[in-house]
Amino acid sequence: MPAAVVVDRVSKRFRLYHERNQTLKSAIMRRRRSRHEDFWALRDISFEVPQGSTFALIGSNGSGKSTLLKCLAKIYAPTEGRISYSGRMAAMLEVGSGFHSELSGRENIFLNGSILGMSRKEITAKYDEIVAFSGVEQFIDQPVKNYSSGMYVRLGFSIAIHVMPDILVVDEVLAVGDAEFQAQCVDKFQELHRDGRTVIVVSHSMDMISKLCDRAAWIEKGDLRTVGAVGDVIADYQGSLGLGDR
Amino acid sequence: MGYIRDVVGARELLANLTIREIKGKYRRTVFGQLWSLVNPLVLMLIYTFVFAFIFRVTPPPGDPSGLDVFPLWLLCGLLPWIFFSNVLSIGTGSIVDNAPLIQKVYFPRLVLPLSVVASGFYTWIFEMAVLAIALSVAGAFVLPWLPLVLVAMVLMALFTAGVALLMSIANVHFRDTQHLLTLLLQLWMYLSPIIYPLTMVRDLSDRIGPVLGTPITLEGIYWANPMVPFTEVFRSLLYDADWPDPMAFGMCAAWAVVAIALGMLAFRRADRNLAEAL
Repeated sequence: MPAAVVVDRVSKRFRLYHERNQTLKSAIMRRRRSRHEDFWALRDISFEVPQGSTFALIGSNGSGKSTLLKCLAKIYAPTEGRISYSGRMAAMLEVGSGFHSELSGRENIFLNGSILGMSRKEITAKYDEIVAFSGVEQFIDQPVKNYSSGMYVRLGFSIAIHVMPDILVVDEVLAVGDAEFQAQCVDKFQELHRDGRTVIVVSHSMDMISKLCDRAAWIEKGDLRTVGAVGDVIADYQGSLGLGDR
Repeated sequence: MGYIRDVVGARELLANLTIREIKGKYRRTVFGQLWSLVNPLVLMLIYTFVFAFIFRVTPPPGDPSGLDVFPLWLLCGLLPWIFFSNVLSIGTGSIVDNAPLIQKVYFPRLVLPLSVVASGFYTWIFEMAVLAIALSVAGAFVLPWLPLVLVAMVLMALFTAGVALLMSIANVHFRDTQHLLTLLLQLWMYLSPIIYPLTMVRDLSDRIGPVLGTPITLEGIYWANPMVPFTEVFRSLLYDADWPDPMAFGMCAAWAVVAIALGMLAFRRADRNLAEAL
């Protein structure tokens, strides 16, 4: 199967600042902009995500999987290496970011949709579907600041899921909403999968991952441990934690 | 080239962000968009009172329009300045203020400062239209000059965009920029022929003569300020209803090109690492 995303020897370095002079006064007084040490959050990661797969990134807190996800989402630029995509990529790292609280739900659909890379025509075509999926029809002309946090998240998620990119990059957003909405989301992901779209997710919920995904990569302390079929990778990961069920 | 394509591809986003800027600003106000006219009008009243009645600044009458109305003369220079200073004040913070968005979604970040310029431009057009009507009522035949006014406005917007891009990047690295800018803008306004005519600077310059034995005159130095040619061009076109000085017009175009090129270059260099720098 052709690869939708190729991650080629990607490394990411962060600077841990011991001192950071973000005002002119302190920069001049201390005679330097900053004092820092390097921290490699990712080291030499290479893998391919096959087209049409649902791919999970797993690992403990602080393992670097979110950094990798941000690199995949083009929010961070890798220090070394490169990531290539075949097709349009959209990322959903936090639902509802970019909502303007004074604007109505309707206006925010158009604003948020275009931030995520949809054209006005696409949004208009999908508008009814987005509203129906979010379940906030009744309040769509109210400013979103009056929404409950659940409604806010549902609308945000609904917009993002309807971007219909070839490649969708998703952070731990599956854990939002009530059980009914979660079931709805799982359906939607399976529909994306049936359409042959590629999805890359980060999650701590192994249940969710083994239900939704077919392939996975396990990252530990910035290094890639295993990559392959989802069952094997989860087994390896849980084995390392000492709670494997083999 | 890929960068330019990205930005062109984001023009709908730019439009939507501009609408957000415009709609969000006057939401839940009684007068709405009218507020954008109140600001320049109040400033006009204050400056007219202080500079026309107390300091007795008398700009030369419009030639050939024959206008001799201080508030109108003032507005021809003041409206472009208000656009410039407003856009710069908001645009400088545009990256830092949208940090949560930048850290969560990928999109060409250039659209953030540009949407501030675009929404400022929208307001400015509105103000200039009212000014053009007022000038016509007062007896200046400005109608044929309006296309050229629009060209000058676009040049001014490009210049402003360039400076705003530079400032928004600088503000990411040094948060002082915002505060420094407030001071700088005040100084800049008094160094531009907005509330006093250029002729007063010329008189002063002629009295002093060459500076320190060099062929440079005070007026020559004064013209290094990009707001000088811009203000002069707007005054010629609107208040005098006449051709602007080609030299000044050329300077406006040059400043616009230089500013936007520098701004884009700096922005492109910084773009990759914005999410981390914030």
